[in-house]
Amino acid sequence: MEDVLFRINNLGKEYPGTVALAGVDLDVRRGEIIGLVGENGAGKSTLLRIISCVEQPTSGTMEMHGRPFSGRNLLEANHMGVGMVFQEQSLMKNLSVAQNIYFGREKSFRRFFLVNWRKMHASGLAVLASLGLDNISPSSKVLELDFAARQMVEIAKVLNIVGEKKNGCLILLDEPTSVLNDGEIRKLFEKMRLITEQGNSIIFVSHRLSEVIEISDRIYVFKDGRRTALVDKKDANENLLYEKMVGRGSSGEYFKVNSQTEPGDDTVLEVRNLGLKGFFKDVSFRVRKGEVVGICGVVGSGKEEVCSVLCGDDRADAGQMLLDGTERIFSDPSEALNAGILSVPKERREEGIIGVLSVAENISLSSMKAISRHAVVSGRERTNRAMEWIRKLNIKTSGPKVSVDTLSGGNAQKVVFARVISGENRIVILNHPTRGVDVGAKEEIYQLIREITEKGIGVVLLGDTLDETISLSSRLLVMKDGLIAAEMESPRDNKPQQIDVVRYMM
Amino acid sequence: MATQDNNSTGRGEPTSQSVTAEFSERIAAESVKNRIMQLGPLLVMVVLTVAMSIFVPGFFGFINLVSVLQQVATPLVLAMGLTFVLLLGSIDLSLEGVMGFAGSIVALLVMNSKNSMDLGVLGILIAITAGTLFGVVSGVLHTRLKIPSFMVTFGMGSAITGFGVLSYRGIPASVKDQMFARIASGTFLDLPLLTWFALVLFLITLVIERYTAFGRHLYAIGENESMVRASGINVDRIKVIVFAWSALCSSIAGVFGAIKLNIGEVIISNGFLFSTITAVVVGGTSLVGGKGGVGQSLVGVIIVVIIQDSMILLGVNSYVQPAVQGLIVVAAVALTVARSKKLIFK
Amino acid sequence: MRNRITVRTFVDNLPWLLLVSLVAIFTSINPRFVGPISLGNLFSAAAPLLCLSLGATFVIVTGSIDLSVGAIVSASCVIYGLTFPELGNWSLLAAVSFGFVAGSLNGFVFIRLKIPSFMVTLAAAALWKSMALIMVGGGAKGIPLPLWKGLRWSEASLGVVPILFVISLAVFAAYYFIQSKTALGRAIFAVGASERAARMFGLKVNSAKFWAFALSGVGSALAGAIYSIELKTSLATVGDPVTLLAIAAVVIGGTPLTGGRGSVLRTLLGALLVVIIQNGMNTGAVDPYWQQIVFGAFTIVAVYLNSERGGRTLIVK
Repeated sequence: MEDVLFRINNLGKEYPGTVALAGVDLDVRRGEIIGLVGENGAGKSTLLRIISCVEQPTSGTMEMHGRPFSGRNLLEANHMGVGMVFQEQSLMKNLSVAQNIYFGREKSFRRFFLVNWRKMHASGLAVLASLGLDNISPSSKVLELDFAARQMVEIAKVLNIVGEKKNGCLILLDEPTSVLNDGEIRKLFEKMRLITEQGNSIIFVSHRLSEVIEISDRIYVFKDGRRTALVDKKDANENLLYEKMVGRGSSGEYFKVNSQTEPGDDTVLEVRNLGLKGFFKDVSFRVRKGEVVGICGVVGSGKEEVCSVLCGDDRADAGQMLLDGTERIFSDPSEALNAGILSVPKERREEGIIGVLSVAENISLSSMKAISRHAVVSGRERTNRAMEWIRKLNIKTSGPKVSVDTLSGGNAQKVVFARVISGENRIVILNHPTRGVDVGAKEEIYQLIREITEKGIGVVLLGDTLDETISLSSRLLVMKDGLIAAEMESPRDNKPQQIDVVRYMM
Repeated sequence: MATQDNNSTGRGEPTSQSVTAEFSERIAAESVKNRIMQLGPLLVMVVLTVAMSIFVPGFFGFINLVSVLQQVATPLVLAMGLTFVLLLGSIDLSLEGVMGFAGSIVALLVMNSKNSMDLGVLGILIAITAGTLFGVVSGVLHTRLKIPSFMVTFGMGSAITGFGVLSYRGIPASVKDQMFARIASGTFLDLPLLTWFALVLFLITLVIERYTAFGRHLYAIGENESMVRASGINVDRIKVIVFAWSALCSSIAGVFGAIKLNIGEVIISNGFLFSTITAVVVGGTSLVGGKGGVGQSLVGVIIVVIIQDSMILLGVNSYVQPAVQGLIVVAAVALTVARSKKLIFK
Repeated sequence: MRNRITVRTFVDNLPWLLLVSLVAIFTSINPRFVGPISLGNLFSAAAPLLCLSLGATFVIVTGSIDLSVGAIVSASCVIYGLTFPELGNWSLLAAVSFGFVAGSLNGFVFIRLKIPSFMVTLAAAALWKSMALIMVGGGAKGIPLPLWKGLRWSEASLGVVPILFVISLAVFAAYYFIQSKTALGRAIFAVGASERAARMFGLKVNSAKFWAFALSGVGSALAGAIYSIELKTSLATVGDPVTLLAIAAVVIGGTPLTGGRGSVLRTLLGALLVVIIQNGMNTGAVDPYWQQIVFGAFTIVAVYLNSERGGRTLIVK
């Protein structure tokens, strides 16, 4: 096949402790749109980052136009004809559209140090026109454009950079549709077809399967860092893709499903019509004593923001939160802590631990009263309690006084749990509690979650994988586009199928 | 659709538009607010001019207009340097030090009361070059050693002031060069020559800001530095140039000071750091970087000078000046800063 | 890796080594350096510097900066001197109350209006400097000679240690207690190390920042009062050079500007180092303006040595 533009052979990427990608083969033909689908953490984003040379693979090779392809950074990838449109937009909002398109490449418009903006705007206009974007003025500031227009400018910029020298380049689109409405998505698809008709190829990542099926010529399905299927457009349907993404269910034993507690009747936390403008609305649910309520949803479904509101990090602008029947509003996590709500945050290194401080200090900081007498902090009490938790949770550390930075991911996460549990809180919010944790520590954490609920603590869980969320939860909320799309029971003897949950997510 | 599963209760088709629509609403509201913010300083300037003309006796008149324009010269020159620094999101606290230093040594290099030097224009150039070199040093320390700019320039500022005083060891030189007196009293079209110099510098700075790639890169660095680095632009070099540019402007201001006061002493710069920051910020250049510009700074300088001038006309104690500027700068920053709860300020 | 650790350990212990070697050098040049008069002078000079750099330490540990310490020193020096004829030694209370108010104002504006701390405190510095100058009508106003007997207590000493230095050591003890034995102290370190994490931990981030500034104001005010007692004058410019000295004392002691690490114990060391270096330059008849250059340079070097290196992608503004 001589019309292959880009080829990946047996590519692998390992991070300390985890395998992000293994044995990936992929080829992109000229003028083709490739769809990539998979759950969160299946390896799609890692693959895109490797193709765009932002990250380096640990094994395997890539080739473009039949020649070996590798680069140290995005810039080199651009020079070789690969461009990436980032999820978080990389445009300079305070510059004009044309200035953004030619950012860092002003040389060709320069005479005696001065840039001929008129000339730049004229060629900007031509670039935009080649994509049929006549409604965007090259001299207007990006700030003044709506999201869809910004996205198109971003694509135009990337296309212009990589297309400068070679004919036939590869554009990577990471979730370009997540901020667009239906009409805008239509337009984006038209432009994508236009781009491929000009001899370029596109790799397209989206959570919305119907879109992927509509626009892609071939679809690669990923699960746990491996390619599980390659589906042609004509064979593709949503059910097939779901199945390939989800794979087979895992064993209940791993998740300690048998020790899942029967929730009590008392409601500890009730949420009514909660909303945060632009992120989610009309979210209502209850958390009972000893219950694990899992929230599923794709990135951008609003589940992360619900989580931030619950732990006081964001303030809801609609609806109510009732704790034991009394209404509470938190404008700060410290107020939530006062009311007995504390979270295991998602970004452990930035939010869960304070690396330069000691293990003992980290464990004690969310329950200072417990180690103080008459407002005087007792260092001995702090150390003693830390020793107790180090033993209880089997934290591997050379002592309570060493800084948390020296601990492995799993042990650092146990320190986070020790801090959150030791404060006798009534509601614990677990935001990706097993992210970046090795298998052994994962199992211990699952056991720990069972023990927490045994004590009657209510848990809200955002799992790392769907499998995990379903297996650990006694009830599930499925969120889509900022709304609760479904609510289902998940008792220990009758767990919902992943595929049924996914259907509501996408 | 598929509702065969055991115990789920679907909540119907979500109205997916709403949340996305709310999001774009937020963006739209932001850009409206931005536009109002841009016009604010200009409006303040007009209102102030009208108010002062009505309430301050002696404000409205040709003589005072010339006086205001004369007072504009030095702060405008300083503001040209500082604006670029603020656009990066950095700060230059060494401005007073460099200004005092350049003013001190220029007096020693032209015909003066302390030594037999008489270098004339060359002396001015040497003084400005020496001052600029300090800016290069600040910039290099800031970018190479990764020390926050406020700290580097704060330390450098004291050190440079020290060098300034050491250059004349206690007794400052008074300038004997006739050229200085001629420039100080000279006018062109009824405007002081120094004001003309300042306006020319303003135009040059404006051209750099608007019509060079360098100018655009400044804005971009203030907005999103890591993205600029990823675009393959040498950010460190730009930063060093900007700190050198700021020191260049401060040095020119120092020469202005020596010309105006006929003496070369570090205290000629007293109070200018604060009034310059006030002017640039009041004009609408944000401390966070990426927003504002030289044009805005001109408006800011005029606002600050009008207030200063009115206070002098009203006979307010001159010690009150910095206090008033302090309140203004806090108010101006507070109005322009985005106040999200999660935003971290140090 | 091992190499980096050795460098780290060396830098961590540098203040001690420097202190010991400087004392050794000065003693070998002039054996009377460790004599009672010389030490007495040293401690007298250290007393106000210690007070004001203790407060500055907490602000720097939170990752912010207080550039208003000098102006608060000036203003409280003036307040102490001017109220002394009426209040007697109670004027100390007046000065300290002022310091608390000034520090609180910094803290309040900083956390409520979210303005970078260097800007807030620079503006506050302008305000208090103006106030001090207006209160004394320009330069300085002496405490009337007949009232000096009311200040005689301040000349007492315990052996070679003047009572004012003892007071500053008591202040040091109080700040050390706050640092290690109160929830506030631990919160200040947590906020400095990672504000985001501290927030998610449920710590009162704003209150920690507020108290850091308030305590900085109190320390500066005490320093101002001590200057007033030592000089028997209300001097509105006394604080002009001390902001740099305070920051120098903190960073030379080994507290990094990046926050979360350091200690007031290190600042004690840093303050002594600064005073010894000053003393050495004075006896060597070095032009006082060299001191500004030397401490400016020292501060930059110390900040560099204390900073965590290796983060190439780190963005510093």
